[in-house]
Amino acid sequence: MEKEVIIRFDNVTKRYDSDTVVLDHVSFEIERGKFYTLLGPSGCGKTTILRLIAGFTEASEGDIYFNGKRINQVPANKRQVNTVFQDYALFPHLNVYENVAFGLRIKKVKQAEVDRRVKEALRFVNLSGYENREITEMSGGQRQRVAIARAIVNEPEVILLDEPLSALDLKLRTEMQYELRDLQKRLGITFIFVTHDQEEALAMSDEIFVLHEGRIEQSGTPTDIYDEPINRFVADFIGESNIVPGKMIKDFEVEFAGKVFECVDQGLNPNESVEVVIRPEDLEITSWDKGKIQVKVDSQLFRGVHYEMLCYDEAKNEWLVHSTKKAIVGEEIGLNFEPEAIHVMRLGETEEEFDKRLESYQEARHEQ
Amino acid sequence: MNSKTRLFYLLPYVLWIGLFVVTPILLVVYYSFFDLHGNFTFANYEKLFTFVYMKMIASSFWYAFLITVFCLLIAYPAAYFITKTKYKQLLLLLVILPSWINLLLKAYAFLGIFSTYGAANNFLEVVGIGAQQILFTDFSFVFVSVYIFIPFMLLPIFNALDKLNPALIDASRDLGASAWTTFRKVVFPLTLSGVKSGVQAVFIPALSLFMITRLIAGNRVITLGTAIEQHFLVTQDWGMGSAIAVFLIITMFVIMIVTGTRKRGIQ
Ligand SMILES: Nc1ncnc2c1ncn2[C@@H]1O[C@H](COP(=O)(O)OP(=O)(O)OP(=O)(O)O)[C@@H](O)[C@H]1O
Ligand SMILES: [Mg+2]
Repeated sequence: MEKEVIIRFDNVTKRYDSDTVVLDHVSFEIERGKFYTLLGPSGCGKTTILRLIAGFTEASEGDIYFNGKRINQVPANKRQVNTVFQDYALFPHLNVYENVAFGLRIKKVKQAEVDRRVKEALRFVNLSGYENREITEMSGGQRQRVAIARAIVNEPEVILLDEPLSALDLKLRTEMQYELRDLQKRLGITFIFVTHDQEEALAMSDEIFVLHEGRIEQSGTPTDIYDEPINRFVADFIGESNIVPGKMIKDFEVEFAGKVFECVDQGLNPNESVEVVIRPEDLEITSWDKGKIQVKVDSQLFRGVHYEMLCYDEAKNEWLVHSTKKAIVGEEIGLNFEPEAIHVMRLGETEEEFDKRLESYQEARHEQ
Repeated sequence: MNSKTRLFYLLPYVLWIGLFVVTPILLVVYYSFFDLHGNFTFANYEKLFTFVYMKMIASSFWYAFLITVFCLLIAYPAAYFITKTKYKQLLLLLVILPSWINLLLKAYAFLGIFSTYGAANNFLEVVGIGAQQILFTDFSFVFVSVYIFIPFMLLPIFNALDKLNPALIDASRDLGASAWTTFRKVVFPLTLSGVKSGVQAVFIPALSLFMITRLIAGNRVITLGTAIEQHFLVTQDWGMGSAIAVFLIITMFVIMIVTGTRKRGIQ
C-alpha cells in the first residue's frame, strides 16, 4: 500500500502564556490507516498535540495539515476527527444511548440507522443493555467505554484517544487493547493513541512517538524504539534498562565495567565516551567464572513470570537482571550476554544524526 | 454527631421558622376567613374571582413575566461573558454591588434620572428625540424592576455556567456541533437549574412588588403587592388583604414546584 499522509505537523510550537513553551518546534507525519502512539511522562504535551489536531486550541507557530490542506484556522466541528477525552467529557444530562448518539443526531442520521449504530458501538465496548443508564450511574471504567463508543460510532477518518484505557482493570484493559487494535484494522481508521504505559504502547502501535518536555525524542516502530533507544531518556522510559558509562575503543569494541567487549555498533570516534544499554532480560545468570561480568546479588523479587534481581559489580554499577532462574541474595554470580544485546548510545545525539549514522553503516555493509 | 446535639443545633432554626414563618402564615390564613366586622365568611375568596381582582392578578402576572424575561435576556449573556473573562470575581462584584444598596434609595435615584428635567430627558434632547414622559409609565416600571432584579437572576446563572466543565463544550464541537447547537444541546440544558433558580428569585418577588409601583409607576400599575398593602394600611380590610396574600403564597409554592429540580426522566 502506498503511504498516504493524513496529518502533518510542520514546526508546530505551542505556548500558553507568552513564555512557557509546551510544544517546541514539533514536526511529524501521520499516515492513513495506521495506529500511532504518543508516549511520554505526565505533562510532556501529549494532550496538547491531540487538542491541536482536534482544533480545541491553536498553534502559536507552525502549520498543521490535514489531507494536504492547512487546517490551523478550521473550527473543531468541521474536522474529520473524533476524540476520546482524558476525563471522558460525557454529557451528564443525557443517558448512555443519547451520549453515543450525539454525533449522529448532529449529522441528522435517520433514527433506524442511529439505533443500529449506537447498539453496535455499545456492543463493541461490552455495554449492551446499558442504553438507558444515566452517566452518573456508571463506574469510571464504564464511562471510559461510553466515551470510546461515542467516538467510534461516527467512523471519522482519525480517532484521537487520550489515555482511553487508564481506568480499566488489567483484564478488561488487555481485552480492550486487542479489540481496539482489531477495530482499527477492520475499519482502517487512523488512531492516535495517548498513553504513559509503555507496555501498552509497545503492544498496540504501528509507530510510537516518544515525547519529552514538548519535543519528540524518538519515533519509530515498537521494536526500533525498544532495541535502539537513541538516548538515556528513551531507554529509561521504554522498558527497564541498565545504562552504564562506557568508552567506544574502536568499531565493534566497547569498554565498560572495566572490561572490553565485542559489540555490533560502529561509526563512532575512537575512544569516544558513550552510554551502554543492556536490557535486564538479555542478561543471563551463570556461575562466577563463566560470566562476562561478575556481580553480587543485592536483592531479589518474584515478579510472576520471572525473578528480578538487583546486582552490583565491582565498579558499583547497578545491574538489573530478569531471569527465570533463581539466585541467592548475597551470592557472587556471573552475567552473560550476546554482543547483539549491547546497545551503544552517543551522548547528546539527535534522532536525525542517529538515523544518518545507521544509514551510513548500512551502506558500508552493502559495499562489503 | 448524635441526635441530641443535632437537635440542639437545629433549635434556633426551628424556633425562627416557627415564630416568623409558620405562625404568620397561619395567622394570614386565619384572618382571610373574616370580613370587616369580624364575621366568619368565604366572601374574601369569592371576591378574588371577580373581574376587578382577576384583572389585577392577570396584570401582576404579566408584569412579573415581563420583568423575568427581560432579566433573563440580559443576565444570561452577561453571566456567560463574565465567566469567560479573566476578572470574573471583580465583574461579578460590580454586578452584585447595587443589590446591597437600599431599594428605596435606588427608586428615588431613578425618580431624579427619569424626571422631566432629569438626565434621561437631557440625553434625549441632545440626541434630538426631545423630552418624553418617562416616569409613571409601564416602561419605567419594568425598566427599574429589571434593574433591581438582575443580580438575583445573574448570580445563579453565573454559578451554573462557572461549574460547567469546559471539556463538554469541546466534546460537543468535536462531535460536529456548531457553536449555536452546542449552546442549545449542551450549555443551556446544563445551566437550566441556574436559570430556574434565577426565575424563582425574580418572578416571585416581582409578583408582590409594591413600593416601585407607586414611586416609579405612579400607581398606574396595580399589582397584588400593592393591593395587599392598600387593604392592610388604607381600607383596613385585613380579611381581603389576607386572602390575596394566601393566594400569593399558593402561587409561590406552585412556581417552586414547577421550576424545582425534579429528577430527570429518560428523554
Ligand atoms: N490551558 C492551559 N494553560 C496553561 N498551561 C497548560 C494548559 N494546558 C496544559 N498546560 C501545560 O502544558 C503542559 C503539557 O500539558 P498536556 O496536557 O499536554 O500534558 P500531557 O502530556 O497530556 O500530560 P498527562 O499525561 O498528565 O495527561 C503541562 O505542563 C501543562 O501544565
Ligand atoms: Mg494528557
